Amino acid sequence: MKHLYSWFVFLLFLLASLTSNGQQAEKTISGNFSHVPFEQFASQLEAQTKLRFYFNPAAVDSLFITLQAQDVPVRTALERALQNTPFHFAIDDENRVFVTAGVTLEPSLPDSFFRSEREGNLANNARTTEKAPASAPGRSRYVREAEAKLYEIGSGSVRGGKVTLAGHIRELKSGEPVIGATIYSEAPSVGTSTDQFGYYSLTVPAGRYDLKIRGIGIKNTRRQVILQGDGKLEIEVEEDITPLKEVVIEAEKDKNVSGMQMGLEKLDIKTLRQVPTAFGETDILRVVLTLPGVKSVGEGSTGLNVRGGATDQNLILFNGTTIYNPSHLFGFFSAFNPDILQSVELYKSAIPAKYGGRLSSVLEIKTREGNKKKFSGSGGIGPLTSRITFEGPIIKDKSAFIISARTSYSDWILHRLSNNSFRQSAASFYDISANISHQLNEKNSLYLTGYLSADRFRLASDTTYQYRNQTASLKWQHNFNNKLYSVLTGAYSHYAYDITSEKNPVNASRLKYGIKQTSLQADFSYFPSSKHTVDFGVSSLVYNISPGSLTPNGENSLIAPDILAREQAVESAIYASDRIDFTQRLSLSLGLRYSLFNALGPRDVYQYTPGVSRTETSIMDTVRYGSGKVLATYHGPEYRMSLRYGLTDNSSVKASYNRTRQYIHQLSNTASVSPADIWKLSDANIRPQVGDQYSIGYYHNFRANTIEASVETYYKSLHDFVDYKSGATLILNHHIETDIVNAQGKAYGVEVLVKKLTGKINGWVSYTYSRSLVRVNAGTPADRINGGRYYPSNFDKPHDFTLIGNYRFSRRFSSSLNFTYSTGRPITLPLAKYYIANSLRVYYSDRNAYRVPDYYRADLALNIEGNHKVKKLAHSSWTLGVYNLTGRQNPYSVYFKSENGQIRGYKLSIFGRPIPTLTYNFKF
Amino acid sequence: MPDAISSTKRYLVVDGFINSRGITTIKLSRTYDISSSTTSPVETLATVSIEEEGGQRYLLREGSTKGTYTSANLALNTIKNYRLLIRTTAGKEYASDYTPVKTTPPIDNVTWHPTDTGLGIYVNSHDDANATQYYKWEYEETWEIIPLLSPQLEYKNSIIQEITTLFPKVCWSTAQSTDIKISSTTRLTRDVVSDYLLRSFSTTANQFRYKYSILAKQYALTPEEYNYWALLKKNTENIGTLFDPLPAQITGNVHPLNDEAELALGYVGVRSVEEKRIFISRSELPANWNVLTGYEVCVPPDTIYIDRPKPPPPPVADILRSAFGLGSSSWPLAPVYDGSNTLIGYTSATLDCVDCRRRGTAVRPSFWQ
Repeated sequence: MKHLYSWFVFLLFLLASLTSNGQQAEKTISGNFSHVPFEQFASQLEAQTKLRFYFNPAAVDSLFITLQAQDVPVRTALERALQNTPFHFAIDDENRVFVTAGVTLEPSLPDSFFRSEREGNLANNARTTEKAPASAPGRSRYVREAEAKLYEIGSGSVRGGKVTLAGHIRELKSGEPVIGATIYSEAPSVGTSTDQFGYYSLTVPAGRYDLKIRGIGIKNTRRQVILQGDGKLEIEVEEDITPLKEVVIEAEKDKNVSGMQMGLEKLDIKTLRQVPTAFGETDILRVVLTLPGVKSVGEGSTGLNVRGGATDQNLILFNGTTIYNPSHLFGFFSAFNPDILQSVELYKSAIPAKYGGRLSSVLEIKTREGNKKKFSGSGGIGPLTSRITFEGPIIKDKSAFIISARTSYSDWILHRLSNNSFRQSAASFYDISANISHQLNEKNSLYLTGYLSADRFRLASDTTYQYRNQTASLKWQHNFNNKLYSVLTGAYSHYAYDITSEKNPVNASRLKYGIKQTSLQADFSYFPSSKHTVDFGVSSLVYNISPGSLTPNGENSLIAPDILAREQAVESAIYASDRIDFTQRLSLSLGLRYSLFNALGPRDVYQYTPGVSRTETSIMDTVRYGSGKVLATYHGPEYRMSLRYGLTDNSSVKASYNRTRQYIHQLSNTASVSPADIWKLSDANIRPQVGDQYSIGYYHNFRANTIEASVETYYKSLHDFVDYKSGATLILNHHIETDIVNAQGKAYGVEVLVKKLTGKINGWVSYTYSRSLVRVNAGTPADRINGGRYYPSNFDKPHDFTLIGNYRFSRRFSSSLNFTYSTGRPITLPLAKYYIANSLRVYYSDRNAYRVPDYYRADLALNIEGNHKVKKLAHSSWTLGVYNLTGRQNPYSVYFKSENGQIRGYKLSIFGRPIPTLTYNFKF
Repeated sequence: MPDAISSTKRYLVVDGFINSRGITTIKLSRTYDISSSTTSPVETLATVSIEEEGGQRYLLREGSTKGTYTSANLALNTIKNYRLLIRTTAGKEYASDYTPVKTTPPIDNVTWHPTDTGLGIYVNSHDDANATQYYKWEYEETWEIIPLLSPQLEYKNSIIQEITTLFPKVCWSTAQSTDIKISSTTRLTRDVVSDYLLRSFSTTANQFRYKYSILAKQYALTPEEYNYWALLKKNTENIGTLFDPLPAQITGNVHPLNDEAELALGYVGVRSVEEKRIFISRSELPANWNVLTGYEVCVPPDTIYIDRPKPPPPPVADILRSAFGLGSSSWPLAPVYDGSNTLIGYTSATLDCVDCRRRGTAVRPSFWQ
């Protein structure tokens, strides 16, 4: 069969390449046809010209031609004649005309061949989309045909010899875009990858190309094109149905070496699903935490510390909206339903210029768009949560929806935790995500996303915590032409918490906090030539924060109301970046982002005596700013540069330098991120944070790109991030700046990663040596921490070793093993107690001078897939897992507190025993 | 229980200040293990002196209370700087930083106001020279206590007999302030402390059952010392909520002179002291306040029965010995008879209920009026 295809392809190529010669000697025809049967029309044309028509008489028996022509070229005449019919024609150099219906046998010259000349600027379209025969099963005829077909694109009159081919790569069955798929030609070597809309744009010299398409979770495919002018090629690819085979990153096969980007970790949902978790639920943040360079203070926390950055230095984007609290239930769960997710990308060193506002990383979470062809659903039942997803077309092939919901249904797990206060607690949460995509026309598409996550839990039966994230975004993608497109994004994001205490009616109170963020962003991508990829855009973001209010709860409450003044600010940025591919080996990406931050009134701003520690006592003056008045302005450039040099085909060196600025700070002086942490804007007294990162890495692929290895090292310096004076009060503090000090940080490390993502055994092994140090050396000696020397941050865990291994026994059974080892985290312990000022007091060691014991944990999971019949009512799978296989009691923290006059110590382990889970997943 | 940090270091703790007009009292002790249940180890036999910058030294002597060193009644030169010098028996030397003398302005008055929720005691002061600005207060409070129960019996020589020496009817309980009370007037245009809340009570506080007295002590601080106390307050008093801040290290202004590895804790300021005493009687407070006696747990008294459990009860002497004998903290109050006038037992209360010396002293304080 294969030979036959090749032969056929060769023939088509011959045909197509010869047609252009045929064009020279083209005849014209004349005649009036009014509802003439096609056979009659054909014979008249044969009489006027040397053409010979070839067609299936049965197929054309209902085709009638109406045409008035006076010395019209044959092609034009035929094109007009067959306009609005399912028929196409092709003429070879022997003046044979092939007339066929649909794409099936249609060789190369679509009826739109000349349209570009008539319709002016609009690029030609190779019509490929609508012809998939409805009955095509499995690895379809459609794909075979599409692969075999030669697409001729463009009119042949090319300026400068360069043409731009653009289009979308979509999944055949669902019509969903394929993100991050690569489309490339091997000779000459050019390529690009699809963006978040599945859109690609390739500028190459005119000519014939054999384009290969590789992507995560799709079958490899190819398209043959002759590019004679700018044009569009929509590509539909098949989903890789057996997920256990060739799991991931085929698309990125050599991306490790050849890609420009460094410090980018990309995970797709299939990788995410394989990693065992504590509650049997796929958890993106947990998997992200297994990546080199990403740490957290402990198991109960989803606060990410990326390359020595604080937990507030990560921009977490969910389809373009900022998520302020990405976790449920103290941080045991991430707040994203895995069923709706498409991919997760973590930028940890070279952050593209389009992103800004956070120092350390960008975690971009993208959802699927929903099945554009048919209605389907999926779900799962786990020990703590259940989830369900529905998706389907609204208008077939044009618009689709996907909605996904998840909820917890018991406090079961809490009662299994070793901590007594957890056992007396209650917890419930849910999250809902929905996405609607609609293609208005070829040039315009709309994407609407909504997200809601809510938590309610009661801690030790007194205080009730509630918090919620609400976000929405609307994206309008507009293609100006093949070389330029834009995305306009409007986004809204709201995070609020509400802590109520009711037990004692006298003290009953309600503490509230809320942050709202509204943003508008325009991003443009411009592909002027194959050597340049230009991105530019502007964005503006309005913050509105209610920093806290404490109000009485109930009539008997004696709580005095205390409400902090609102904070407002506008953060704007403009950016441009250009990726220049000098040669195949050398490419450089230069980017500049300029951000501007204005803190706005109305607000009262305290002014402090310079040179003295900021305390209430050193307030000199209070300046009142009216509504909308600018009370502080900060701005500055953010450089984004990266360089790649290919040493050989299998190895490369990359380097990058990044500067980032951050104008919003998360205030948390607890070890772990708590839902009651607050976000504070920079203002007249709090400077923005600035970070610089230099990194360099070596990348090598072995064994035909099946094994990727990389060594990346980085040095990072952080300026003016917030740290806290001893005993700082963060909640309801009217002058928070008195408790905050500007800290300087430095972080450095080496990350070694070996990854094998194909074959029976796959997974990755990483080792990281990293340090993260903080220094508070500003202000008066009293403000200095540890005498102004560098000290380890809360998450400084120098050695970290992670193994994620999957072994596939058969297509239906596979197992996963996690192993994690890391140095214990630093803590501050009391050294001694002493009696002073009529009271016993505790003397602490230097901050973070001690460490909890080393951490290690192993998890095991077994995935059992249902049978692999493609067509059945529902596909199902079971996941059986054991978290913390050895039951090691890894200490999360060690603390001392006074009880009955004595100071007692405790060691807290979060998951101090093996936790078995069983999850049932289904898809229909 | 995690491994406690067994630091072999026993840091010197210096508790006190240099009194520029009067007797200086310095308490020296050592830090000790978190897990220890004893009182803090005192540093005895040290050589402690006050040194004037470029001038003479005044020696402090250790009195009968070990670890407590007192000076003669001194009047220091207010334009000089002073420091505290300590030389331990181990030969280690410590000194506080040279500190200017802060002269404390007098307390204008100590006032009190009953409110709906209780009683507040306030202190007022001012400094026309605007030189004080940082204030710290301590207080010593004393109140009368009268036990509700006055036993007429005692257990002596294995029998219950009429009491020979009555328990004191009245005692005086004394307590020191334990929390750090500081305030500054830097936000104000004048150096005035207005109604600083020194002490607050609920409407039921037993201190006001009869008569209460508070001695307010006022100190002027340097800004550095103020910051020290503010930090210590935050680190050791305002800690322990759900949102525990990360703890930090606080030392003070006392430093080792000859051993860098050593450390001393405490802040020795130099200042004068101003005091003011007021009295508050129950009769001055709103009559509808339900002031507690402090002896609520003592009524009604328990009863020790000598006729049960039945049958047959153990010997009476055994019952009495186990109830009131050596090692017992109970005291017989009065006999209990049944309907036929037969002695069936004795009411009893703990020693704490009947002997007010357990809560204070029966010696009338000299200032009591």
